[in-house]
Amino acid sequence: MSWRAGPSRRSIALKPAPFDYVRPASVREACGILAEAGGGATVIAGGQTLMPLLNLRMSQPFILVDIAGIEDIQGVSAVPGGLRVGAMTRQADGLTDALLAARLPAMVMALEHVGHHQTRNRGTVGGSIALGEPAAEMPATAVALGATMEIASLRGIRQVAAADFYLGPYMTALEPDELLTGVIYPHWPEGHLILFREVARRPGDFALLGMTGAAVLENGAVARIGLAWFGMGPTPIRMVQAENALLGQALTDIDPDVVARLAVADAAPFNDHHVSAEYRRTVGHRIFRRTLREAFGLKEAA
Amino acid sequence: MNAEISGHGLGASRWIGKRVPRKEDPRLLTGRGQFVDDVVLPGMLHVAFARSPVACGRIISIDREAAQQMPGVHAVLTAADIAARPIRMLSFFFTEAEIAIAPLADGHVSYLGEPVALVVAESRAMAEDAAALVEIACEEGQPIVSIAQARTGAPIHPGMDSNIAAEIGDEEIDEELEQRLAASALRIRQKVVHQRISQAPMETRGVIASRDGPEELTLWITCQSPHLVARWVSLALDLPDSAIRVIAKDVGGAFGLKNHPWKEECAVIVAALLLGKPLKWIEDRYEALTASNQAREAEMTLEAGFDAEGRLTGSHGIYDCNNGAFPQGADSNIAVHMFVWAAYRQPAYAFVSRGWYTNTNGLAAYRGPWAMESLVRETLLDKAGRRLGIDPVEIRRRNLVYLADQPATSSMGIPLEDITPGECLEKLLQHFDMAQFRREQAKARSEGRYLGVGIAAYVEPTGSAGSMAPMTGELAQVRIEPTGKVTATMSTHSQGHGTATTMAQCIADRLGVRYEDVTVFEGDSSRGGFGPGAAGSRQGVIAGGAAIRCSELLADKVRTVAAHLLNASPDSVVLSDGMVHVEGAPEMTRPLSEIAAIAYGEPDRLPPDLETGLEMQFRYQPPPMTFTSAAHLAIVEVDAETGFVTILRWISSEDCGTVINPAVVEGQISGGLAQAIGMVLLEDMPYDAHGNPLAATFKDYLLPGIGDVPVFEFVHANTPSRTIGGMRGVGEGGAIIGPPTLVNAIADALSPFGEIEELVLPLTPARILDVIEQRDVSGTSKANSPVAETPVTLSPEPVPAEDVVQGVSAAGPAGDWDMVLKTPMGPQAMQAHFDVEGSALRGYLAAPEGRQEFRGGIVEGNRLRFDLKVEKPMKITLKYDLEVSGDAIAGKCKMGMFGSAKVTGKRAP
Repeated sequence: MSWRAGPSRRSIALKPAPFDYVRPASVREACGILAEAGGGATVIAGGQTLMPLLNLRMSQPFILVDIAGIEDIQGVSAVPGGLRVGAMTRQADGLTDALLAARLPAMVMALEHVGHHQTRNRGTVGGSIALGEPAAEMPATAVALGATMEIASLRGIRQVAAADFYLGPYMTALEPDELLTGVIYPHWPEGHLILFREVARRPGDFALLGMTGAAVLENGAVARIGLAWFGMGPTPIRMVQAENALLGQALTDIDPDVVARLAVADAAPFNDHHVSAEYRRTVGHRIFRRTLREAFGLKEAA
Repeated sequence: MNAEISGHGLGASRWIGKRVPRKEDPRLLTGRGQFVDDVVLPGMLHVAFARSPVACGRIISIDREAAQQMPGVHAVLTAADIAARPIRMLSFFFTEAEIAIAPLADGHVSYLGEPVALVVAESRAMAEDAAALVEIACEEGQPIVSIAQARTGAPIHPGMDSNIAAEIGDEEIDEELEQRLAASALRIRQKVVHQRISQAPMETRGVIASRDGPEELTLWITCQSPHLVARWVSLALDLPDSAIRVIAKDVGGAFGLKNHPWKEECAVIVAALLLGKPLKWIEDRYEALTASNQAREAEMTLEAGFDAEGRLTGSHGIYDCNNGAFPQGADSNIAVHMFVWAAYRQPAYAFVSRGWYTNTNGLAAYRGPWAMESLVRETLLDKAGRRLGIDPVEIRRRNLVYLADQPATSSMGIPLEDITPGECLEKLLQHFDMAQFRREQAKARSEGRYLGVGIAAYVEPTGSAGSMAPMTGELAQVRIEPTGKVTATMSTHSQGHGTATTMAQCIADRLGVRYEDVTVFEGDSSRGGFGPGAAGSRQGVIAGGAAIRCSELLADKVRTVAAHLLNASPDSVVLSDGMVHVEGAPEMTRPLSEIAAIAYGEPDRLPPDLETGLEMQFRYQPPPMTFTSAAHLAIVEVDAETGFVTILRWISSEDCGTVINPAVVEGQISGGLAQAIGMVLLEDMPYDAHGNPLAATFKDYLLPGIGDVPVFEFVHANTPSRTIGGMRGVGEGGAIIGPPTLVNAIADALSPFGEIEELVLPLTPARILDVIEQRDVSGTSKANSPVAETPVTLSPEPVPAEDVVQGVSAAGPAGDWDMVLKTPMGPQAMQAHFDVEGSALRGYLAAPEGRQEFRGGIVEGNRLRFDLKVEKPMKITLKYDLEVSGDAIAGKCKMGMFGSAKVTGKRAP
């Protein structure tokens, strides 16, 4: 299906700059269009970010590729080693998905904080992941949990670790001819601890900063941990130093204040007109310390 | 007959004071409102603007070739094209600006986003496609963005000698005031740096202009009064009123932005006249945030003295506001100083006030434009109280003017007869246990939770009429139709105010009919008479009085007719629920429709010489000003970890006199308070050093959402005013008293950590952490330090030759002069005539409003001094002190307590 927006502009009250609209039925067809367009195409999934940008003419693609009709990129399924969330899975559907609820509550917790009830009805998991907004929950959670991006093009399918996927604000490893088709989250054992805290002016606002991740405790020590910041740098930032400091540590030996300092040291916060980098560092330290303490049941330092 | 019927000829059913459902709501809540974008005319074309890509610079070229060749494009117009139909862009007071203002940038651009070219096309999208192809080449200059830069930088407007748009008052504190302050037990300063605000109405600006016939014009425009827009456009285009019809049925908020058309609307109007095709322009949200006029960016330092008991001894205020490039009326905001201490026993006050031109969007009004006075005063009082160890309630009790103190006159000469801020505060405290709260606060602090209480009191001038050109009385035209139903045409206009509801309540109440049987028409300049609409919290006060008196007069006529028909005494006729009763004779009860049918259709049955029909009109001219008073209280919790503020409780105790509809009054206050919360915590329209507005979408411009606004509690005091009906205005109050109430609560919560030394809005979480941490977490003090404010110097643009004094004439002061007095309402042009005899000076000043003689002046060389007594806008003696140099004249006019205003001029040709 394809129609040119241009000729109809006389009668339809359209706001965006002219574009061709296509709605491929398969990944292969979509990739064919992307390859042919040579960078002039933009993929639309739920449209909750792209539609305002089109109407504001901040985004002016030549071709809009609507992937909502592609069946095999919808929904959550079990795959060897974990769960695959199809890129076109609506956020609202993810929140009610039984598999996700049972096996990946850390991801569900983050998903609850994405946008508003209304935007989650159309917004997709893959859309949020592929956009790469530095203050968004989904990219950071993919990094924290060690997810792998499933990327298709006419050249084949490749997989990229979430940690290598984000290059800068709204910049990802996706090539112009590539389509994000799914996100594969590794298995996290039942009973994993959730470490999530978001600092946003109001529910649904973009976060000023936040942290997301999960931990597994065995015999009173940290057996596995994955943590990332959002809103604390140009991309989601994996807290490598903090993870290393925690891994293998007995809970009794953990000083949350020291680990929080390492966590903030991993970040690269910025000034914007909402808050300063110093605010992000100061509050980042505090929420990390508190979240760690609460998740691990640590006592307040004397 | 029975106890239900009162002695005033009306039944017991009262509609004033009831929470009746709003007449507007069924239409608005079911999506059937009529906003500008809902109107579609046959053959209508659409407009988009090509805008300046830089904040200041000379236009080198405008290439519209590619745009003109786009399919569907009908025209691409620039300043030169639309100059074919001159339009004068006036202020709200219908005065002309001293700078040149044109709908489209002419020769140079003065703010980023200034419209440069207007594209007309068959659809909005086509118009936008084409506008994107208009190439505007500019020689970019270094913009003046902040007030600090405006002070030291070269003038942004050609021909001006500074960036001062308006100024009034005196820089130096006079000796007596200085002595008062010096002798005070506490001398304290409060500085407020208020951020820039976008009015952000839900319905953005928009207009449809349709030329009907050679020079007749119909406008659908989102506005605050179709009558005012018709009058403004008539003056701006020099067309008779009768040639212009303005329609605005529903308006989705305005808040001061839509008082009258500005650049884009004027460009569309002129283009429609030139092209002869109906044109529509609807501002999109991006334009609304980045190209609409804006408000509030201002700084004020208020200094005050207190004696050891916390009583005021004197005060001085310095106020500066950013007028942007093309304000809708250059403004130094005199009202800030008029009202800063109006409700307090303040023995002495002096001030200086300036508005500054900058390369930013122009200044437009915003709900309570003078609100800085309450913010700076009420936060200063709390600070002084903390310093003196006096509780916030007590320091107000010692200084507020209570009813028992009145009549009184404020330090600025305002007569006070019935203000009740103190009484509102006492009433408020009956609903709040302060001692209990202080215990809870102490307990919470010991647990690391920081609660705070904030109190503020204020008075607000409302229902102003008779002293400024647009601020007239209001007109009611009420008729009982031959069917017995009641229709009224009012000069009111609603942008959500519900005037069709409140006016119907006033009419039903005084006419003895059911509210459901009254229909109010407004929103069309071809209906009813002039009124400025929603501006200055006036419609309930003045139009309410007009509706009441008009209905009473009409009810008298009904009684006369009914008494004649029923052979009863007019005094015994009672109107109730649409029925006409005769006291003591229930069998004579008749429906109003029967009387109405006779009044219109059977003239022979009416009393001799009585005009047929049941129609009445009344224009109400109220007292010049009616004060509303209020005290508010808020409880907040500040999260010391993040600097987040949660509002736990908010009580409003206001005195708006007679309440027509409590739900409408509470809605007005709530809306203003929501905006107050936005201003204190969320909203901000910053510019970068290049003059780029940085909040271009609602992602960055944070409007308060419903979750940010608590459920407000209301306490109503009801001291009737001296107007017909006894109402007091309530439109702006929430936006005025809300900010200091909330800031005081936050400051109280933060008091264990320290003071908010300089109040920079919004109080973001980072700025709150500055106080908690006692270090610069937010970067605010770094940004505001003199190092960051690089002064900008520009070579001024060459002054046009005609403004240069060509040689100096030897003639002295005698003769005729063209002078301009910079008044707080805009520059006022006048002709002066001086006769000199020795050192004696006499003569006259003449303006369109009239001519006034003076004598007894003094001439000393080239210096002239003379006094002139004026009645309007207030009784005041103007003391002129002018200096002649050749063919130029300049100096000051001291206007009593208003301080001094600048006078300039040149010898009349």
